[in-house]
Formats: sequence, structure tokens, C-alpha cells
Amino acid sequence: MNNIENQRSQFIRPCTRVWLGLLALTSVTYSIGRMELGGTQIVMLVLIITFIKGEMVAGFFMGLRRTSLLWRAIMASWLLIVGGGIAIAYLTGLK
Amino acid sequence: MSTQTLTLDSHKAGTPPGDLAIWFFIFAELLAFGIFFLSYAFARAHNVELFNESQQHLNRESGAVNTVVLITSSYFVVRAVAAIREGLSRQCAHWLAGAIGLGGVFLVIKLFEFHAKFSAGISLSTNTFYMFYLSLTIFHFMHVILGMVILAAVMLKARRGGYSAEHHTGVETGASYWHMVDLLWIILFPLVYVIR
Amino acid sequence: MQYQSQAVAKPYFIAAIGLFVGQILFGLIMGLQYVMGDFLFPAIPFNVARMVHTNLLIVWLLFGFMGAAYYIIPEESEHELFSPKLALLMFWIFLVAGAATIVGYLMVPYAALAKYTFNDLWPTMGREFLEQPLPTKLGIVVVALAMLFNITMTALKGRKTSISIVLLMGLWGLAVFFLFSFYNPSNLVLDKYFWWWTVHLWVEGVWELILGALLAFVLIKVTGVDREIIEKWLYLIIAMTLITGIVGMGHHYFWIGTPEYWQWFGSVFSALEPIPFFMMTVFAFNMVNRRRREHPNKAATLWALGTGVMSFLGAGVWGFLHTLAPVNFYTHGTQITAAHGHMAFYGAYVMVVLTIISYAMPMMRGRAANSEKSQVLEMWSFWMMTVSIVFITLFLTAAGILQVWLQRVSTTPLGFMAAQDQITLFYWMREFTGLIFLTGLVLYIISFFVGGESKEAA
Repeated sequence: MNNIENQRSQFIRPCTRVWLGLLALTSVTYSIGRMELGGTQIVMLVLIITFIKGEMVAGFFMGLRRTSLLWRAIMASWLLIVGGGIAIAYLTGLK
Repeated sequence: MSTQTLTLDSHKAGTPPGDLAIWFFIFAELLAFGIFFLSYAFARAHNVELFNESQQHLNRESGAVNTVVLITSSYFVVRAVAAIREGLSRQCAHWLAGAIGLGGVFLVIKLFEFHAKFSAGISLSTNTFYMFYLSLTIFHFMHVILGMVILAAVMLKARRGGYSAEHHTGVETGASYWHMVDLLWIILFPLVYVIR
Repeated sequence: MQYQSQAVAKPYFIAAIGLFVGQILFGLIMGLQYVMGDFLFPAIPFNVARMVHTNLLIVWLLFGFMGAAYYIIPEESEHELFSPKLALLMFWIFLVAGAATIVGYLMVPYAALAKYTFNDLWPTMGREFLEQPLPTKLGIVVVALAMLFNITMTALKGRKTSISIVLLMGLWGLAVFFLFSFYNPSNLVLDKYFWWWTVHLWVEGVWELILGALLAFVLIKVTGVDREIIEKWLYLIIAMTLITGIVGMGHHYFWIGTPEYWQWFGSVFSALEPIPFFMMTVFAFNMVNRRRREHPNKAATLWALGTGVMSFLGAGVWGFLHTLAPVNFYTHGTQITAAHGHMAFYGAYVMVVLTIISYAMPMMRGRAANSEKSQVLEMWSFWMMTVSIVFITLFLTAAGILQVWLQRVSTTPLGFMAAQDQITLFYWMREFTGLIFLTGLVLYIISFFVGGESKEAA
């Protein structure tokens, strides 16, 4: 029973909070889209939100936060490369 | 990999949940989508006005609703994994059924979106933006279907009592794949629907 | 050898090697014609030599795959072959049809051959790699279906393993995609569109399944690593192959009148095609390093490792070199393509067939491995052929780069033939290297006849 209580507090509850957090961040992203906001600062904000959401899904839902550094590094660098690449592409498009 | 002891301790070994093979597969898929996302971003950089103009014709609401749907369905899958870690096969199957149902909702919303675009005469050849919009979302659409098939197989086995608190690698394997499908949409939505 | 009926593979392997020799001879003739245009004209014009060179390649690889299937399926299924007699009958039909076709190519003008073989009733001839007359094409279908029936029945009766399932998937896919050789729409774009489905969805799709299965089989046997581990690798490789290869095939659709999106699909997906080949390399070395027994057949292990490395270089790296649409815009249809074609076919499919032959032939001759002397000779032939193909590829790549520059990039572009004149040095070097390849092949054949003390049957 101890184990089950343990898992509830260490697995389910954090994931529930992550789920609510994801919903909140999604509504921020959507609002930005709905107002058709653009420009460097806004786009960087959207990308940072996306990175945070990605890390939340990978770390909590996929369970990577309990794995070795290598696994977390692979996932984080994928998110960084994709997000960074999108940012660079956005900046080149401004000129 | 095959002997998962109860709950959290198994992860201390350092490997991610589920079969190691699915993780190779997940990273290969992420690589493919990553290249596709970056192709979109750089194609947009060469054609900002066209992309900004075409983007306004997308249905942002259905994109946002679908994000919520997939995030929630991912959360259901988390609950399914949590249930089987306590040995609760029936609950596990129920949560999975919910996740699959939400996957179906995603598909239906997406189909409405596709239908609207196709009946407006839009195709892969309309312009570069629509080429990317359609191929990225269709490619993702097919991954949702594959994910649902995997979850369905896991659900059927869970319903038969095929997993236990000690042995449930299959549930974690399917869950990991489904989270990846969710993760991809979390990037796809702002990239294609929002950034301008 | 565990089952009597596995022995039907032997004639298939012998025929494969015989046709391999023919392929190389015609390659040498053609290589010389690059620099001495009228060599053997009019007896064997360039177009005929080229047709024989490529057709023989495909036919002997098919012989190799069929032999491999007849050898592997009974052992994997733990069941005798459904009908060894049918397998032998199909062997003779295939051999006679193949030989008759080649004789037809060489003896009568192609147009006359088309007329004699009812091409006007159902036009299928005249397309690269699919030059075979209608009766030959039908023969290939009959032979393939009979083989599939035979091995599928065997697999159904016995144990089902990942290797046999993947091998069957690959062979069924091979047969299905061959059916597109009968489809010849009069719209040129559609014709080309489906033309690519036969040979190129083979080499970038279903043949990779066959390759993976053969490699996995031999690695299980020579390394003794757990089947479970090898099967996991096999599934991963197969999944990656199918994800990348099927859409990646779009890199053939760049400039043939297909919609523009193929330039994106082809570029993105085919840029990922090296991944499964890279995984195969890692797989082969990893398994050999973790080996739990020292198999006496060192030559087969060498071939298996060679397949991993050379398929990655030839298919993966040399394919990637010119697969992105902006690059391919310049390199399309130049000697760069020829360079890639040579190393990819050798590194992936020639070597995997030689791997299974190297492993299975001694078994069928009643020993676990050939004598030390024979194996040393075989390894010499391995290195001679492999190093030769590396140099042939390098020379053709150099020729291709020069050709692209002279013909398409420079401010004063030359015509095709004028550009060809400028790169003859590389063609001479390629031809010379081809002779070394032939020497390696002769050594390979001699190695079968070298006696000495052989290893005990396992």
C-alpha cells in the first residue's frame, strides 16, 4: 500500500499538474494566434512556451525525468535544435 | 528491459519506460518530423508573405481544440500506466479506451478541416504553404492512426488481464509512442497555425 | 545442413555465380566502349551490352535471393520444404528463360525480338531494366509465385520466426512490385511514375527487408547471439526502411513532370534513407563483437561485416550525396548516379548474396566451413572485389563531378559528348580497376575448388 501511495504522490499528481499546465500554455499560444500577433518577441515567446511544453511532456508523461542524463539530453537537444532552427528561419525571413 | 519491478524503482536504472526498441523508433520519427519542421520554417523564410496570407485561412480554433484533445488523451494514457502499475487491469483498459476515443475526436476534427480545404479546391499543388500544411498534417494524421492501433492492441491485452503490476512493459511502450504523437502536435500547432 | 530439402538452394547459388561472371564480362565490354566507342560494334552495341549487364545483375540477384529463401525457410521453420521438386523445376524454368532472353538480346535486333515475342499484343518492352520480352516477364511471375507458394506453405507448417516473416514480406513485395512492369501507360509521365515502382521500390524498400533477414540469419548462426536481440534489431531496421524508403523513392520524381511537392518529399525522406543502412552496420559489428562462439567460417563473417559497411557507404552515403533536389538539379543522370549505383548494388545486394552463399555452400557440401586455404583465398577475393568497387566508385564520382562542372555549371558549358571526351582518363582507370574486380571474382570461384582439411559439420 505504501508503494501505491508513493506512486500516487510521485507520478499521478505531478502529471495532473503538468496536464493543467499544458492546457494553460496552450490557451496562451492560442490567444496569441487569435490576436494574430507577430514579430520577433512574440515568436520567441511562442517558441519558449513550446519548448517548455515539450519538456513537460517528455519529462513527466514520457517519464524521461527519471532516466539517465543521456536520454534527457537527446530529447532536450532535439527540442532545442528544432526550436532554435525555427527561430533562426524566422529571423532570416524578416530581412 | 523485460523485468520491470513495481513502479518507480524500475526507472532508476536509467532507461526510459517501455521497450528500448520503441525509443529508437521514437527518436527516428522525431528526426523525420524535425527535418520536416525545419524545411517548413526555412521555406517560409523565403516566402513570408505567401505563408502569412495562407495561414489566415486555416481554422485556428480546430487546431487549438485538437491540441487540447491530444494533451488530454496523453494524460489519460498516463493514468492507464499508473493504473497498471497498481495492477488494476480494468482501470487501465478504461483509461486507454478514453485515450483512443479522444484520438478519434482528433481525427474527426481534422477530417472536417481537410474536407473544408479540399472542397475549396486546395491541394498539395496549390502553393508551398498548403503543400507543407497538408503533408505535415496528413503525415501526423497517419501517426495518430498508428498510435490508436497500438493503444487498441494494448487495451485488448489489458482487458484480458495480460499485464500485471510486475509485467507491463507493453503498456509503457504504447504509452511512450502515444506521447510522441502528442509532442509532435504540440510543436506543429504553433509552427503552422500561430507563428507569423 | 539440418534439412535435406535445403539442398535445392545449391543450383540456385551456382547459377547466380555463373551469371555474376557474365554480368562482369559485359560490364568490362561496356566500360571499354566508353573509351573505344566501336569496340565489338556491330556485334554487341553499347545499348545491348548495357542491357545485358543490368539484366544479368538483377536476374542473378534474384537467383541468389531464391536460393537463400529455399535454404533459410526450412531451417527457420524447422520443417522440410513443401515441395523440393517444384523448387527444382522452377530453377530450370528460370534458368532456361533467362538464358534464352540473353541469347535473344545478343542474336536478334531488339525490335525484331519485340516482334517475335508478341510485344505488340501487350507492349511492355523498351524500358530500362524492364527490357525482357513478354514471355520472360510472365515466366518470372510464374517462377516467383511458385517459389512464394512453396516457401509460404513451408513457413505455415512450421515454426514462425521474425526472420522468416520478414523474408516472406520482402519476397512477396518483390513479386507484387514486379507486376508494375506489365503496366505501361501511354502518358510518358505516368509511364515513368510507375516504372520506378519495379526496380527502385525493390532496392529502397522490399529488398532491404530481404537484406535484413539474410544478414540476421547469418549473424545468428555465426555469432550465437540470442535470437531475441537480433530480432529486435531486425524489426527496427525494417521499420526505418519502410518509413524512409517508400516516400524517399520520391527523389526519382524530381524532374519528370510530377508535381513540385515531390521535390520536398523526395529530399526529406530520402535524406533519412541512410539511417536503416547505418543501423545495419552497427547491428553487424555489434553482434559480431558480442559473439558467444567462434564459428569456423571466418569468410562468412567477413562478408556479413562487409555488407554492413559497404551498403551504408554505397546506398547511404553515395545516395545522400545527390539526393537533395537542389543538388540533384545539377547531378541528375550523370556519372555520379553510376558511381552510386555500382557501390550500392555491390555493397548491399551482391555482398549479402555472397554472404549467404559463403555461409550455406559449405553446409550443403557437408561441412561447417571450408578449409583454411580455401577461406584465405575467399577473403582475398573479398578484398580485391571490395577495394576495386571502392575505386570504381571514386573514379566515377570524379568523372561525374568533372562532367557536372563542364557540362552544366561552367560559364561556357560543353555538349554531352564533348564533356565525355574530357573525362576519358577516369574511364580508363575505371576499366583497369574492373579487371582487378574480375580477377577477384575468378579467385572467388577458384576458392570453391580448393580442397584441404575442412572443418567438421556443426
